[in-house]
Amino acid sequence: MPPNERAEKQAAAQQAVDILHEIATILNCHLDRRTLSICISMIENGVNPEALANVIKELRKQGQEAQLEAAAASARRR
Amino acid sequence: MAYLAQLGALADELVAALTSIPEAQRERRDAYREFVLRSLRHHTFTRTNQFEVQDRLDGLEERFCVVGRDALARALRIRLDALESHRSQTTPEVLHLLLELADQPAQKSNLSD
Repeated sequence: MPPNERAEKQAAAQQAVDILHEIATILNCHLDRRTLSICISMIENGVNPEALANVIKELRKQGQEAQLEAAAASARRR
Repeated sequence: MAYLAQLGALADELVAALTSIPEAQRERRDAYREFVLRSLRHHTFTRTNQFEVQDRLDGLEERFCVVGRDALARALRIRLDALESHRSQTTPEVLHLLLELADQPAQKSNLSD
């Protein structure tokens, strides 16, 4: 693919991600741009969106628990 | 094989982005990565129906208007219209994901965000 064509395609893809990120914000999805880009790449690789949504919810829960554990451990050390 | 490697790398990135577990806790991150890959491979969800996704988005837009959040409804419509010219084969699936992750937007969404 010629460099110009590649650059145009990349710019169009970036614009699509920008719009999808704005929709994610309107829907209050709690997704930052980086995470959304990872999700889009996963879906482009054939991942089921509902399965991915469940994984994201579970990882957020686990992440929160890990943060609470870290905070508790830090409080115990003081 | 390349597909699995790519998905594995994306699973790593997703775990890092969502859990903030430090690089030092490699075992824990690996366990989450395996959980992600297992959950994405073995599930019982059906394929996305693009018409159902469109109906759900239209319904949301209507709901925003019903609860007096006309600006939010307009903002959503503008973005959905703008997305039309960037539509790809996977756009309905990505919108499906966003609908699944939506957190009470009619009540909680803030346009200034």
